[in-house]
Amino acid sequence: MKKIALLFFILVSYVYGYTYNKLLLKAQASIFPKIIMLDKKLYEKLVDGKIVYTIVYEKNDYYTASEIGRFIEANYKNASTKYAYKINLVEFSEFSSETEATAIYVLNSNNQVQELVDYAKKKGIITFAYDINYLKSGFLFSLMLEKSAVIYLNKDNLNSNKIDFVDSLYQIVNFLDKSSG
Amino acid sequence: MLLMLYLTSLGAQSNDLLESISSEMKQFNEVATTTKQNENYQPYIISVFQGEELEKLGVLNLKEALLLVPGIDMTTDNFNNQTPIFRGSNSLSYGQSKLFIDGVSVNNLFFDAYSEYLSFPIEMIKRIEVVRGPGSKTNGINAYAGSINVITYAEDFKGFESSDKLVFKYGSSDYKMGGFFKTLKTDELKLFIDFFYQEDDKKLPSGPDGLSRGVLGASNIPLSRSGDAPVWLKDYSLGLSLEYKDFSIKARMLEHEKGSAYGINLALPQDSDRVKLPSYYLDLDYDKKIGDFELNIDAGIKYDAFDSYSKLAPDDLNLSNIIFYDGIYGEHFAAQRTLYHSFYIKYDGFDKHTITTGYRLIREETIDMISKLSNRATGDVELVDYSDTLPFFDKNAKRNIFIFSLQDEFWLNNNLSFIYGFNYEETSYKDAGVEPRVSMVYQLDAENIFKAIYSRSHRNTSWQEMFTMNNLARVGNTDLQPEIVDAFEAAYIKKISNDSHVKTNLFYLLNKDQIYNSSTSPEYKNAMDSDIYGFEIEYKGNISNLDQLYLNYSYVTGESYIKDEYRSESLSNVAHHLAKGYYIYNIGRKLSLSTTVKYVGSKSRVSGDTREKVKAYSTFDTAMRYKNIKHNFSLTFSIKNIFNSTVKFPSAINTYLQDYEQERRTFLVTLKKEF
Repeated sequence: MKKIALLFFILVSYVYGYTYNKLLLKAQASIFPKIIMLDKKLYEKLVDGKIVYTIVYEKNDYYTASEIGRFIEANYKNASTKYAYKINLVEFSEFSSETEATAIYVLNSNNQVQELVDYAKKKGIITFAYDINYLKSGFLFSLMLEKSAVIYLNKDNLNSNKIDFVDSLYQIVNFLDKSSG
Repeated sequence: MLLMLYLTSLGAQSNDLLESISSEMKQFNEVATTTKQNENYQPYIISVFQGEELEKLGVLNLKEALLLVPGIDMTTDNFNNQTPIFRGSNSLSYGQSKLFIDGVSVNNLFFDAYSEYLSFPIEMIKRIEVVRGPGSKTNGINAYAGSINVITYAEDFKGFESSDKLVFKYGSSDYKMGGFFKTLKTDELKLFIDFFYQEDDKKLPSGPDGLSRGVLGASNIPLSRSGDAPVWLKDYSLGLSLEYKDFSIKARMLEHEKGSAYGINLALPQDSDRVKLPSYYLDLDYDKKIGDFELNIDAGIKYDAFDSYSKLAPDDLNLSNIIFYDGIYGEHFAAQRTLYHSFYIKYDGFDKHTITTGYRLIREETIDMISKLSNRATGDVELVDYSDTLPFFDKNAKRNIFIFSLQDEFWLNNNLSFIYGFNYEETSYKDAGVEPRVSMVYQLDAENIFKAIYSRSHRNTSWQEMFTMNNLARVGNTDLQPEIVDAFEAAYIKKISNDSHVKTNLFYLLNKDQIYNSSTSPEYKNAMDSDIYGFEIEYKGNISNLDQLYLNYSYVTGESYIKDEYRSESLSNVAHHLAKGYYIYNIGRKLSLSTTVKYVGSKSRVSGDTREKVKAYSTFDTAMRYKNIKHNFSLTFSIKNIFNSTVKFPSAINTYLQDYEQERRTFLVTLKKEF
């Protein structure tokens, strides 16, 4: 019995996955890549001339991360955008200062994300999160399906030396600052 | 120089990008609103359950799904006409809530009930939206205590198409089910078909039957029997949905046949005795957006029937000294037709306002009636046609209804919105008149949402309550006033994360003229006014990234004022405490384990009923689901009521001595293949 229980928990620890809201995932995967292109300093963040959209996930969310990646790639495959898109899938545990990224999108994690946030802030990487709670940890953007779809931006996390969005973006986002956290 | 060039091109590009972002946000918002994924921001108290999630729990059908909803309990009667009770509101009537299948109201006219749809297999359901309370919108068909919107897989959106599906199920009581749905699409035309067949041979222990209480006279008390009540099921359904440009057609043919359960005259029937409750509808819809106007024109026809053939009384029955040596048999048939048309127009050309107005016309009528019984004069068992001389129902029953509604949705700012308006209704019997509604939704921030709602609604008298005749247990009354409710509701929602929340609401319901009859006073009357109040709390979220957790608790209490007797009593036949929940443990994308728990508190009896309270009960279910991703099929095995608890629904006073016992431990195996 103990062996069965042990096997069960080993299996669980390898293959579980969070149950994400599919509509929200799709909304974020459609809109976030467009926000990146509104950065006036985007050219400074290109990697080999490409926008590298790095999706950071827990091991068990690999399938979800790769689905998002495929969706974005399909969207931008034949799009007449100025820069090509490259999708980079990275596990939380493998994220380091060597990880290439123009922008980072994180799925849910049980672990601390502070190191990732600090690195992104320092490098001027644009950060997006599935869950709005990550904005309190230092991420820049999230999107929620409220009475209408709402993009949230935590302006306290904006490193204006490295990231400078066109003014009109600020007219369509909701600001979340320390007082709202 | 490069920077200059980049910024110049960005300027031109940014307008296009922002336009594209705005357009996509609008599109996702429409999908989220239609699919109730932004339910927390809607101006009513709503719970939404996804079919896929319910399948993981091993839920069998719509009835089992509804038992998970906060504040909903189930009741039944002598022919097993099961009905959800919302927040303890009049557990003895049927039309307190409305059921919509893909937006079409399917309550039958005879009872104003929808028990024939409660066995709708869960695999055919994409989503169930349950609004408790009358709701705040004025759209012509307003529910009284609540409404249930069942959305089938006919609904799809670009990028969110559903796979075609084939399902087989097998379970206790030799339950067998097979069904499928399929979508065919071209650029402009979409055709969706769903079909299922299911049957079982379920029997439930029962008795002593109503004869023991003297319902057919004191001399017949010794003929009372106990035994297995036939509650078997046999039904099939064919649904069709067709969309072409701005036009759509929805049609369904449901043939529902079931055992006569506890007997329409409260005498335990034979195993083969049956009741048929067919339901057909055809709905034509035209939806067009012209500038700031949105036009909706709808018309449809519905057919339902009550069709019973059974042995109504046992051998050797003595009625006024006529002996029915071979018992009494009866055939009762009443077919109803409903024609309706509506026209609504929505205008959002005013800043911050969306105005909707329109009317709905309904024509309801009985189109056929047969009333046959064993010979009442001689006691001979052969059926005699009493359709003209002693009908069980008024074959000329008809009613016209006109409803006008006006509503304004006003967004004061991004955080605060109001909806206010009214319905006005006239019928060829008693009118409900003007029914105002007003609601407010205030979003303090991303995590805190408040709602306040006042609404008045009514339930029109059902056909049975108005037109039943020559019956010992039920006598219709065409002078009945509609039941009226004034509902005051307040809700608070705490969003914990994108996918988890706690929802609470308080409600206070002032019910007037509630309709009631009993075996000692069989004529339907506006017998009671009831004040009901309570609260509901609901949590949805997860403990870890592995799982999903759902919990709810509801409390209801109140008092009924019995008009004829000038006295008050506490709410009867109502569980004051209901608690439900489930836990799903996802072992990867292939395997999930789940547990469902339900607790239903005890129920006190009506005044004069000396039986003990209906006992509280708890049930535990478990399910395991395996999904083969490569071959796209899933296998679910579930056991319901693992600990074999006794579940009983109350029988009415002076009918069956014991309450109606429900199924004990059961199992179910489901095989589903997606294409």
